[in-house]
Amino acid sequence: MDIIKEIYDAVMEGKVDEAASRVQQALNAKAEANDILDKGLIAAMDVVGEKFGEGELFIPQVLWSAKAMQAGMDLLKPHFSSTDRTEKGTVVIGTAKGDIHDIGKNLVAIMLEGSGFKVADLGVDVTPERFIEKAVEVKADIIAMSALLTTTMPSMAEVVSLIKTKNLPFRVIIGGAPVDQSFCQEIGADAYGMDAADGMRKIKGLLGR
Amino acid sequence: MNIQVSREDLLKQIGYKDSPLPRLLGMATDMLGLLDNLVEPRQAFREIQDEKDLPAFLRGAVLKYAGAVTLGPKLENKAKDLFDRGKPAEAYILDVAGSIAVTKVSNILWNEIREDAAAKGFKKGVRRTPGCRGIDLETQKYIFERIDEPDLGIELTSSWMMVPRKSLSFLARFGGNLKGSFSCKGCKQYSDCTLRV
Repeated sequence: MDIIKEIYDAVMEGKVDEAASRVQQALNAKAEANDILDKGLIAAMDVVGEKFGEGELFIPQVLWSAKAMQAGMDLLKPHFSSTDRTEKGTVVIGTAKGDIHDIGKNLVAIMLEGSGFKVADLGVDVTPERFIEKAVEVKADIIAMSALLTTTMPSMAEVVSLIKTKNLPFRVIIGGAPVDQSFCQEIGADAYGMDAADGMRKIKGLLGR
Repeated sequence: MNIQVSREDLLKQIGYKDSPLPRLLGMATDMLGLLDNLVEPRQAFREIQDEKDLPAFLRGAVLKYAGAVTLGPKLENKAKDLFDRGKPAEAYILDVAGSIAVTKVSNILWNEIREDAAAKGFKKGVRRTPGCRGIDLETQKYIFERIDEPDLGIELTSSWMMVPRKSLSFLARFGGNLKGSFSCKGCKQYSDCTLRV
């Protein structure tokens, strides 16, 4: 079987060790790093994301696939020069100020990493100023915020307001149980992610990738 | 208190309706096997007898209660540890099992309150949690002042969140006008809500 197809299958099935060993095998056989990444790892993870969005796969399977992709990425990174793109973009992620619930945010962070994004995870109860400070520091493309409760949603608006006031280039995506598209529009955020798969799709859309 | 979470309930909550992968079945079984040592349920309730600072939800009720339950910190510490060790699927499954468990503990407490109310002649009651319609989060302060049980082991953050996070609090009312009681069925996320079992 084609080694790239084997890499693709290993990620689809969430087989971490197999994904890593097949990527190493492909590198040993002088396969192009770009092909391994685009046609193997990313192609599989894109399909996993789609199937998750369609309800065919569930969170544990997506996490396994993300881990498998990450294992492959770790082996690939040394084969890209600093000018090559190995990451799809940089995302600063955290839970809105006052909110300490992080399971959803953690899952999205892992899925983003597994899909090839560089992620700076600020944890929980993150102030608007901290989101901005970190985004500036890591030259982020996206700020992603999560809230579980309506009372913590206003701090999302503060982040958007700070970005506009300071004329910063960051795009903002929001998510979490009480958040919806109308709130997204109300505060002027760039996108609303209904769930992790939708969030990844929207982030890719915002970055034109 | 013995809290049992079935593998079927756990898988359903994760989203599986049929034929989960053997790998997932094994992981679910493993995580449920950890529950006994990670769950330390505690609960407390008090009847509210004064009218001072009464939240709107309790106004007009004849019999009023405040209650809270927690699983303790061990489960969420273990979930964090699993995340940190690169086992997010296990962490997620354990977290979901904890959510089911804390709901079960809450239901046990609710039954005890209903028995207490029944002994006082009240059969129909309704409970509601801060953050739900009509009860803002600041009501947590009122609830925990009324419960006044330091051994419960729940602390409130400055934004009225409970620590440990696997905790639930509520107000309950019996008698008087029960109109407007909360129903999940009115929620637009009813069909795919992850908070219902």
